[in-house]
Amino acid sequence: MAGVNRGPDAGDGSADVGTDGSAGVAVDAVGKTYDGAGAPVRALDDVSFGVEPGEFVCVVGPSGCGKTTLFRIIAGLTDATDGEIRVAGAPVTGPTTDMGVVFQEYHLFPWLTVEENVGFGLERSDRSAAERERRVDEMLDLVGLTEFRDSYPKSLSGGMKQRVAIARSLAVDPELLLMDEPFGAVDAQTREMLQRELLDVWASTGKTVLFVTHDVAEAVTLADRIVVMAAEPGRVAEIVDVDVSRPRERGDPAFGEHVARVRKLIGAGP
Amino acid sequence: MATDTGREFDGSGLQTGLGLDDPRRLLRGAAGLVGFVALWYLLSLTQPAIVLPSPVAVAAEFRGQFVSGTMPDALASSIRHWVPGTIAGTGLGVGAGVAFAWSGLLDDVTAPLVRVLRPVPPLALIGFAIAWFGLNHAGAAFIIAIGGFWINFYATYGAVEEVSEDLIDVGRTLGVRGDLDMIRSVVLPASLPGILTGIRTGLGRCWMLVIAAEIFSVPGVGREILRASNNLRVDRAIAYIFVLSLMYLVVDVAFRAVQRRVLAWQA
Repeated sequence: MAGVNRGPDAGDGSADVGTDGSAGVAVDAVGKTYDGAGAPVRALDDVSFGVEPGEFVCVVGPSGCGKTTLFRIIAGLTDATDGEIRVAGAPVTGPTTDMGVVFQEYHLFPWLTVEENVGFGLERSDRSAAERERRVDEMLDLVGLTEFRDSYPKSLSGGMKQRVAIARSLAVDPELLLMDEPFGAVDAQTREMLQRELLDVWASTGKTVLFVTHDVAEAVTLADRIVVMAAEPGRVAEIVDVDVSRPRERGDPAFGEHVARVRKLIGAGP
Repeated sequence: MATDTGREFDGSGLQTGLGLDDPRRLLRGAAGLVGFVALWYLLSLTQPAIVLPSPVAVAAEFRGQFVSGTMPDALASSIRHWVPGTIAGTGLGVGAGVAFAWSGLLDDVTAPLVRVLRPVPPLALIGFAIAWFGLNHAGAAFIIAIGGFWINFYATYGAVEEVSEDLIDVGRTLGVRGDLDMIRSVVLPASLPGILTGIRTGLGRCWMLVIAAEIFSVPGVGREILRASNNLRVDRAIAYIFVLSLMYLVVDVAFRAVQRRVLAWQA
């Protein structure tokens, strides 16, 4: 039986610094109100949870529960109306290279080659040219795209594009990887492959990962803990520990139990 | 504002052109050209030369003007204001387009002014050209620059406005800080296809403006067309019109080659 934590359980974030360059995240009473036409819309209300350094946490919820808004607030791309986000104890006031961000639609720079996309963030770091080059090589190797380094994004498949996007976000060595439905736009087989690869990357880099998805099975496959959200207003319904040993198999009864539990929480039925 | 670009762009992207790489299209094009000249010849038989000279007469006049040196001189003179006018108009148009599309403040401040100035045809500014620059190449270049400016301004403005917010977000998460860095590393490359289409349209428009620019007796191809028309030398006027067409063609083909190379990532 899975252990369940009732939120809010946000840490104070001050001690949330990992030993291997991974950071903890504290989401503290975050709210977001949009001034809609007519009545203001409460997209997020009192969302609190913590992510330990090196932990893999998924946020799942029905559409309209504000997961993407929450993702953008954590990434520093959108301001919260209330509350705050702390990464490694420091309040987030805007995007930083401490967070690697991966979007659903890849958003590669189409005018840059694979190699140049991966190196984009490095150009603004204080690394030497030789270091940058080595880092790009490492990242291309990590996602298995070395032989496509000179290709333009247009010629790549969706799965390959997302690998480039992941390599690009990891290249600057962020403490936290933030992902918004990164595998939502690829076919099922590619998705499973990318999930395995992401777990490998996570295991080999030790990064903290905060992963937003609407796919419950995906969350159970990946996460140490799942933040289950409810809609109207977007809020934390429950936080579920996934006590299933890795690698996780979909046929495993414990896997199915967790999926059923999370589905029930978001009201999607068993 | 971007919607005002209207019909200035006919969607002539990289696909439309002479079709030099497709033999079937080339053949059809050649047939069309031959048919046109044949029709022109037949029609000219029924008309006096001052109404419609025959293609043969025009070719002879072309050759005569060329050999006498009048045509090369006129072309050289036109180039002397076409080049600086086009460069100034293109540079300022692209620069202003980027700045106004990127800066909401600048856009708000200038939007009414732009709406007032936009409908003014370059020809209407001839008085200013003469007063500010005189009856010389600079005055003619000014007229050409005005025309080039607006085309490039609107094309660039539209292209920059259409740059995806998501790419800008990605840039921010990867450490792009400040407007200049963002414009240089994300906005300009992302809007380059639209900007280049504008430049290409502008290059053609600037050749058309050569006539307007030379209306106040600055020497050049446009001046020769006007003078020939005034003297009812239709054959000579047509010969010089061909000079403009040829120059447009040469510049357009060359620019398309550059465009293809720069936008190799789109292919």
